[in-house]
Amino acid sequence: MLHVENLTAAIGDKQILKGLDLDVGAGEVHALMGPNGSGKSTFAHALAGRDGYDIGGTATLDGVDLLGMSPEARAAAGIFMGFQYPVEIPGVNNMYFLRTALNSVRRARGETEIGARDFLAVAKEAMELVEMKQDFLDRAVNAGFSGGEKKRNEILQMAVMQPRLAVLDETDSGLDIDALRIIAGGVNALRGPERSMIVITHYQRLLDYITPDFVHVLVDGRIVQSGDRTLALHLEDHGYADYVDADPSASPERPLAGASS
Amino acid sequence: MSTAAVTSPLGAIELLDSVIRPTKRNETWRYAPHRQLDALTFGPSVAVDLPADLDEQIPALDGPRVVIVNGVVDRDRSDFATPDGLHVWSLADAAESQPGLADRHVDGAELVDAFTAYNLAYGTDGAVIVVDAGVDIATPIHVVDVALPGSVTNTSSTGVVIHIGAGSSATVVETRLGAGNDSGGSNVRTTITLGDDATLEHIVVQDLPANQVHLSRVDTVQGARSTLRTRSFNLGASYGRLAYHVELAGVGAHAELSGLFFGAGEQTLDQQITVVHRAKDCTSRQLFRGVLDDASTGVFNGGIDVCPGADGTDAEQSNDNLLLSNRAEVNTQPRLEILADEVACKHGATVGQLDDTALYYLRTRGINAEEARRLLINGFADEVVDDVSIETIRDWITRRLGHDHD
Repeated sequence: MLHVENLTAAIGDKQILKGLDLDVGAGEVHALMGPNGSGKSTFAHALAGRDGYDIGGTATLDGVDLLGMSPEARAAAGIFMGFQYPVEIPGVNNMYFLRTALNSVRRARGETEIGARDFLAVAKEAMELVEMKQDFLDRAVNAGFSGGEKKRNEILQMAVMQPRLAVLDETDSGLDIDALRIIAGGVNALRGPERSMIVITHYQRLLDYITPDFVHVLVDGRIVQSGDRTLALHLEDHGYADYVDADPSASPERPLAGASS
Repeated sequence: MSTAAVTSPLGAIELLDSVIRPTKRNETWRYAPHRQLDALTFGPSVAVDLPADLDEQIPALDGPRVVIVNGVVDRDRSDFATPDGLHVWSLADAAESQPGLADRHVDGAELVDAFTAYNLAYGTDGAVIVVDAGVDIATPIHVVDVALPGSVTNTSSTGVVIHIGAGSSATVVETRLGAGNDSGGSNVRTTITLGDDATLEHIVVQDLPANQVHLSRVDTVQGARSTLRTRSFNLGASYGRLAYHVELAGVGAHAELSGLFFGAGEQTLDQQITVVHRAKDCTSRQLFRGVLDDASTGVFNGGIDVCPGADGTDAEQSNDNLLLSNRAEVNTQPRLEILADEVACKHGATVGQLDDTALYYLRTRGINAEEARRLLINGFADEVVDDVSIETIRDWITRRLGHDHD
């Protein structure tokens, strides 16, 4: 479904992604792990369409080129990005925002817009998923939300938007264990045969709750290792030291790509 | 500049010969387009017909309504029926039947500038609103002023008098509009007195056409423990000036002034605010927001004067601005003069642009760039719009702001 080949991204002289290859099939959940500064967030933003990067290579969703599209067109094509730092938007009502977002992608897809009453039913179901109360919808988008509330609001948006591919950028960062459980529960409920996910995380902890089909290690702008979830457990024990400042071929203790032990 | 007091309209007319129009050297007129101001002509009001299509522009509020066209009350379009305890007259009628009230509008008025003198001389019609003591008026009272340049002189003069009796409450909406292709405009002066423990919400919506000038001055004197809430929306005109002078004369009075100026094209939207803390333990809040696009200019000149003896004053002022174009500008200036003890005064101003990260965030949710921009701009403006208690007016303003970006 998602095909990424030799993807590069630079800001000015600084090359961040240096030829990233990744294929994500329908219904698969891929975890993308890596040390700080390895390019994880840049990869997410490159898929979502943030301005300011010099992008090279290929990224297609169901065969359609993503890289030439605006962020809103990518959303209409089915990309959803969960932000590591969700943006506070004072003065814009959360409910209004959600409905505008959903109707924008519906319009772009040639579907009919959803009315206020029908939307309320959609929103209610999504809110139950992330254990949010009604007053969340009445507040301004993320304004004054706690860290956990912001992250829950991201998953709420994902539940409303029903994307083809969700890219969740460090959705677990800054969460206590209860919030983590709620978020993971929401994400798991949204898994399905037609929906793929890329879960970007620093820690194995999230993967105790969201079981990935594949785990990739991103170091210095490239995926240097891929495997199943045991790779994440290995990283938990050994850290990223094996991959950083090291010649990949000189580290025999690492499991092989795709290894299942 | 003369600040002589006048005792009658006739006195003001006699003064006109000696009145000099403000120039750029006058601090409070520094950013005004003086060539346009100098082209304004003033004289006795001449009745003209309101164009029918303008009716649709007027916010549809039920209740008492005074419609003033070119400085003359349009009786067919006005509704003087009032509930008990509320009295609404035309200013011309009140000058006959309620001389005390009408005189107060003129007596002792300070000739702060030439336009005040013109208004005193020629603003002989308009609206008078009186609420008796101890009455809560739930229905808003609507004063609609329409400029229609093209007669002998091009700028209309209107007077509005509001008195809220002790312990009473009311809401007054002043809508200022204009029509026609000729340049000119309107010059409206409102005087407000609040009795002890009285409450007034006073809303001004200024939306004259872009070829006209609007000059407004609101003078307020508040009794003890009274509450004034002003909400001003400075939206139209090539030069829209909304000046407020608030006197907190009674102990424990509270004034809350909020406003939005929303400019595009080459508009200049000017807010001149002075809150005078004359009595002890009064509180005041000024919250103004500007949104400026294209080559428009915003002005916020906000003063807090704390008089000797006005101990226990608590005054705050903020002015936040959003510049949507690199040709737009805003001039924001706080003026604080504090001559009392135990005073808490705070002021702050910000000038910013649309948040790129917020725009990007909205766009990743499928919202196109133009709509995302509008959401953010309206979100910023809504901070002020939401202060308005009347839904019809809130909707009118929201629609008006939305239309500008279609």
